[in-house]
Amino acid sequence: MFSQVINGTSCSAVMTSLGSSSSSTTEYVVRVPKNTSKKYNIMAFNAGDKVSCSTWTQARMERDMSNRRIYGEEETQEGAAGSEFGKKQREEARRKKYGIVTKEFKVEDQPWILKVNGKAGRRFKGLKKGGVTENASYYIFTQCADGAFEAFPVHSWYNFTPQAKHRTLTAEEAEEEWGRRNKVVNHFSIMLQRRLRGQERGEEDEEEGEKGGKKKKKGGRGGDLRIHDLEDDLEMSSDESDGSNGDDDEAKSKAKKDKGPKGKGKKKKKKGSDLEGFEDSDDGDFEGLEVDYMSDESSSEEEEPEKTKPNKGEDVPKGIDEMSDSEEESEEENKNEEDGKEEEEEEDGKKTPVQVEKKKKKDSSGESDSSEDSDIEGEAASALFMKKRTPPKRGGGRGSAGSSRTGSRPGTPSIDNAATSNTLRAAANKLEQGKRQTTVPSSETPAAKRLKMEPSPQSSSGNGTPQPASGKSTPSSSDVLLTEDAVRRYLIRKPMTTKDLLKKFQTKRTGLSSEQTVNVLAQILKRLNPERKNINDKMHFYLTE
Amino acid sequence: MSDKGQFVDLTRAKQHTGVWLVKVPKYLSQQWAKAPGRGEVGKLKIGKAQGKTAVSFSLNEELTVVQCSGEKVSSVRSPREHPFTMQTVGGQTLAVFTETSDKLALEGMVVQRAECRPAVSESYMKLKKLQIEESTKPLRFSQKLEKAITTNYKPVSNHSHNVEYEKRKKEEGKRARADKQKVLEMLFSAFEKHQYYNIRDLVDITKQPVIYLKEILREIGVYNSRGPHKSTWELKPEYRHYEEGQEDEEEKIE
Repeated sequence: MFSQVINGTSCSAVMTSLGSSSSSTTEYVVRVPKNTSKKYNIMAFNAGDKVSCSTWTQARMERDMSNRRIYGEEETQEGAAGSEFGKKQREEARRKKYGIVTKEFKVEDQPWILKVNGKAGRRFKGLKKGGVTENASYYIFTQCADGAFEAFPVHSWYNFTPQAKHRTLTAEEAEEEWGRRNKVVNHFSIMLQRRLRGQERGEEDEEEGEKGGKKKKKGGRGGDLRIHDLEDDLEMSSDESDGSNGDDDEAKSKAKKDKGPKGKGKKKKKKGSDLEGFEDSDDGDFEGLEVDYMSDESSSEEEEPEKTKPNKGEDVPKGIDEMSDSEEESEEENKNEEDGKEEEEEEDGKKTPVQVEKKKKKDSSGESDSSEDSDIEGEAASALFMKKRTPPKRGGGRGSAGSSRTGSRPGTPSIDNAATSNTLRAAANKLEQGKRQTTVPSSETPAAKRLKMEPSPQSSSGNGTPQPASGKSTPSSSDVLLTEDAVRRYLIRKPMTTKDLLKKFQTKRTGLSSEQTVNVLAQILKRLNPERKNINDKMHFYLTE
Repeated sequence: MSDKGQFVDLTRAKQHTGVWLVKVPKYLSQQWAKAPGRGEVGKLKIGKAQGKTAVSFSLNEELTVVQCSGEKVSSVRSPREHPFTMQTVGGQTLAVFTETSDKLALEGMVVQRAECRPAVSESYMKLKKLQIEESTKPLRFSQKLEKAITTNYKPVSNHSHNVEYEKRKKEEGKRARADKQKVLEMLFSAFEKHQYYNIRDLVDITKQPVIYLKEILREIGVYNSRGPHKSTWELKPEYRHYEEGQEDEEEKIE
């Protein structure tokens, strides 16, 4: 213990403290160990990646040898077929003559691949940073048990970056999309289409079938997307996709990863949110848009804008590939809707964007009564056209209405066109069609609110003809059955006109055509023989029980 | 895929060992390399003066001798005092891992970065001057010779290389036509090793005159005048089967 400050003295003891009122120094011996068997390297992570080594339970690391075939000359098999006598020497002489110097493949310089926490954990790629040891040396100072410091020279520095597990676009695809960036508003469909394209090329029926079967279950996670932070998005979607991935793996024995549909039955959740996601559009929004009156361009144009619609509210999390999963799900549901709508689109004339927008608004408000309504709404709303799926794969009541339509319309425009069209007006148009389609069957009598889409009722009934086969076969999967019990319930509750009853049993929901509905309803009424009352000059039926 | 690669030993990482990353000037690391014995190179002083931490490293006396190239006696000594400037780890998360010939281990995280600077002094300036002089010397330089070299390019009646060549040729003599069967055997064994041969190489292998050899080759082989293996000979299709053994080939010959 020193009571006085003695400047400049250094003790030979390892630890020294010079007592002072304002300063104190401790001395430590620094050693540079001589044994060089251990090579010290730096592993650098970006602070934004939030890597914490304490969370690692297990880590594996190996060199990334994928460059070997580029650098190392490919050793073609010696001798036998395909080889020439003295080829190696000739090649070497040739290279020397032209001064070609091939870089050696040094294992030391190859990147590292780090896998943390097993298969489900993160992956990192570590690239060697050059020039670290050229002008200055880095040393690692660690404190030993005896208080002395040991300094180890740093051999090399590797910058580790996390590797994406989600699907990304290749360079060519990225170039394409960049060219279309001003036209494409719905960025989620980009990855979806890519996946579908891949499926087209390497399709397997069983996969298709599984997909079709799963269609109903796939909730549109696109509907879960709101305007929120990018990180939240990534975390949320990646969590979901991870979870759902696992589930899907059980269900499907062999789904290729990039084709595997994800998601569970979050359909209900999505329905409501789909509606909420829509932005209000003011009158001035469509002023600058081109109004296209050339019919031959219509089909391609209309496809794209429809896509854009449902995702207007979800513009913020762009380019997040996880979202595409949900997109795919919602899109698959809508496929059948789409196919039906497309034909109507082509028959119709054009409207101004504003008009269409207003109509769309009105319809959406009108349709959001029940969850069922919003289900259909959701289908119509989310955009996309899917490539035509074979009808049998589309199980389920909801799908049945659409599947028939798909069947009857083999010539649906391809998805690729869609991405290129852009007018919102056309999009609104399409949406309009879909709404029209669903509302038409419910209002059998020529309603005053019939929009300009005159052909739509015809086309829907025209489409309706193939329906009975599928409709009748799967009435159980629809949410509303046109049964005696149902009618009785309604009539007990309150008096209703025939019109009201028909409204309750919309063709979409029951899977029956309008004619059939009328017939069946008439039969049921005959059987029930309800009491009649005249209210407001209209004949109401009611039952008392 | 995740099963490949060696495990990284995380035991020391779990202990949350913190290390310092220090950038050290080249000359100092060179001096450190010369440390004797246990490797003690100096002392690190960590002090708190008026609330600020001051870290400084002082080099041991014996290590201040700078070895310089050339005839100069080392009158220059490296400085002894080196204050450290401390920096934050900030925008990077740095970890240290070690690699031995068989094992990878994570040693710890970097908690502090520092730069070791020499305390500027006269001796340091001289040292720097020396370094600069060395580095400006070009790696290659021209040197004037006192005497011209006269041993090359003397006129010779016959170069030694040529003499040897002629002697070798004489020994070998002209190539004699061997038995056709033997030649065929040689050819087949050669084609077993490689599919395509240049006529020159075949002449070397079989030691036959070119015309004779060509005759035989026309029987059993075909000449590629175009294609990836240009101007080479290969066996006719019925003679080749590169996966099978030699016996089949001999059968074919008969």
